[in-house]
Amino acid sequence: MNFSTHSKVMVQGITEPLGSVYTPLMQAYGTNVVVGVSPGSGGQVVQGIPVFDMVEQALATVGTIDVTVIFVHPYLALDAALEAIDAGIRQIILITEGMPPLDMVRLARKAEATETLLIGPNSPGIIVPGQILLGLHPPTFYRPGSVGLISRSGTLTYEIALELTRAGLGQSIGIGLGGDAIVGSSFPQWLQILDEDEATEAIVLVGEIGGETEEAAAHYIAEVIDKPVIAYIAGRTAPRGRRIGHAGAIIASQVIEIGMEIGTAESKIDAFRRAQVPVAESPSQIPALVKQALGLATCKISS
Amino acid sequence: MDLLEYQAKELFHKMGIPILPSQRIDRPKDLKGLQIPYPIVLKSQVYIGGRSRVGGVRFVENTIDAIAAAQTIFNLPIQGEFPTAILAEAKYNAEQEFYLAVTLNRSLRRPVLLGSQRGGVNVEAEIEHMQQVVVDREFSPFYARRLALKMGLQGNLMLSISQVMEKMYRLFFEKDLDLIEINPLAVNANNEVMALDGKVTVNDDALNRHADLVAFVTKVSNPYAQPSDSMMLVEMDGNIGIVCNGASLAMAAMDLVARAGGRPASVLNVGSETCYDWHPSALGDRLDRGLELISQNKQVKVILINLVNVIVPCDEIVKVIAAYLQHKARNSRNVSEIRGNARAARSVRIPHLFVRLAGEDCLLDRDALPATQVTWLDSLDDAIVQAVILAKAASKSS
Repeated sequence: MNFSTHSKVMVQGITEPLGSVYTPLMQAYGTNVVVGVSPGSGGQVVQGIPVFDMVEQALATVGTIDVTVIFVHPYLALDAALEAIDAGIRQIILITEGMPPLDMVRLARKAEATETLLIGPNSPGIIVPGQILLGLHPPTFYRPGSVGLISRSGTLTYEIALELTRAGLGQSIGIGLGGDAIVGSSFPQWLQILDEDEATEAIVLVGEIGGETEEAAAHYIAEVIDKPVIAYIAGRTAPRGRRIGHAGAIIASQVIEIGMEIGTAESKIDAFRRAQVPVAESPSQIPALVKQALGLATCKISS
Repeated sequence: MDLLEYQAKELFHKMGIPILPSQRIDRPKDLKGLQIPYPIVLKSQVYIGGRSRVGGVRFVENTIDAIAAAQTIFNLPIQGEFPTAILAEAKYNAEQEFYLAVTLNRSLRRPVLLGSQRGGVNVEAEIEHMQQVVVDREFSPFYARRLALKMGLQGNLMLSISQVMEKMYRLFFEKDLDLIEINPLAVNANNEVMALDGKVTVNDDALNRHADLVAFVTKVSNPYAQPSDSMMLVEMDGNIGIVCNGASLAMAAMDLVARAGGRPASVLNVGSETCYDWHPSALGDRLDRGLELISQNKQVKVILINLVNVIVPCDEIVKVIAAYLQHKARNSRNVSEIRGNARAARSVRIPHLFVRLAGEDCLLDRDALPATQVTWLDSLDDAIVQAVILAKAASKSS
């Protein structure tokens, strides 16, 4: 992982609807967006950023790129990411939702083979408070600090960042892994990164129903992670088999999953409890649990 | 999105997976024109599984019995769902029943092939016989042979099973499926194989790039299909409406309402910030439609709105809420004028709104909306507590 004020950033889909809303906001936060790619819009200049038809043309002009943020149509996201990998870019953030899962299977295979760090799809991206914004996170909710925030959600992540900030707990990084069923990176992968990250002292993990990445994270924490971790799981009372928005947040009831009670909130919370990871009952409880874990005083502000 | 059995079998047939001669029956009298010789089996076409245990599958020997059985099946709901059609199919003498499937393993991020010699209705009870092969690289037929061998098959049967599996994988991959399942795959005395039942789940996100599958959806109204514009409404049996922008945010609000002793009635996600064609007016538009949608549920006594956003100015959200309240007030006045009494006006009472906006320090003109209809709160916890208290009081008084 390498995200800082010095990172050179490319935006793929810079002239697309999401790209044109968020590129200026990323720039305003100080993100060094050096080049954009939008097939058919080569030659344009957007917000002072030169736009090319292809990644290879962009790289020929600006040299190396540290990270690309992809805002293209979900059916074109695989192509955009493969193009970036082919050009040697090894950190990719996929924002757009609705990418077909089998496209992600192909992309994940390619990312593994090339050791590319892949975040998303259906992700708000990454923010390193005070340094860089790569995606949709609302900067005003964050403050520089030492809590690493990893989440499968978008707006709930912002809500929790705001709770932390208001409690005087800044963040070393905020990462949205993405709400789709198949995403590029997992909780265990990010736990490992943040365990090694010097700026991070405690980790807040925001999970939700569906899949088993939280269970895997709990086992991984028990075995490997030294820094304190606080967990929160959304969807304890969500009805089975219904989609509220995230394709990833469905508890499957197919025959092939019977016998393996995974994906439910209970299974995830149990896994964290067994790993001795405190599980917050509500977003507003998270700051107090973080302070406890860090040995900080948890005084209540009298009003 | 699930396909019906006859639709799944159309896909099987095109791919060369062996199926029996069959005919779709839309009404009992269609059986008079049946092209298949008796005896036949009649199968209820529903999305729910387990139909044979409750009488949704019947064997018949002649037209008279077939029409009577078809009438029974058309009038038999399977877990509340009535069939839109019946599939009439030739009878097959199976010696053995296998299970075959392809699906995606989310944590491995790879397709997996599944197979068992103990298929049929008891597959769940015999899950320990299920074999699995992960397709970690580009698919090639050897993955299918690997599965067939793990299933304990040999010789020609091993080959024919792996050929079916290969075709299933091709369908899975070409049509962007979440699941393709054949259960049972019947084997007769001559070791010939036949797909007797089939289940196909199409990935909702990929659906639009498959025109043939879109046609399946539009031909039959599928009660389980999600609306394509992804305003996801989940109905429950409580009395609190929940409107949030984001799936996890909505689930967190549901959990908090339940924890405070309240019961959600409808939960609506009006978020769409990672939609490819999102634009700043989307939140207001979706909130507008969302409030209309959620207040169609007459059980809703209060509505909790929690929006986390910094792009859309607060006063635009306030405008949407004000327009909704005006619209509701006009409607209830009209009703009371028509009915000419005050009781009617009360019966279309507008749910009280508890609104919490987390965003830029918005200088809300809180007096712009009457406090009798809207309560503004700064924290989600407070909004939840107050909404639950009022909802409880409202359900007692009604």
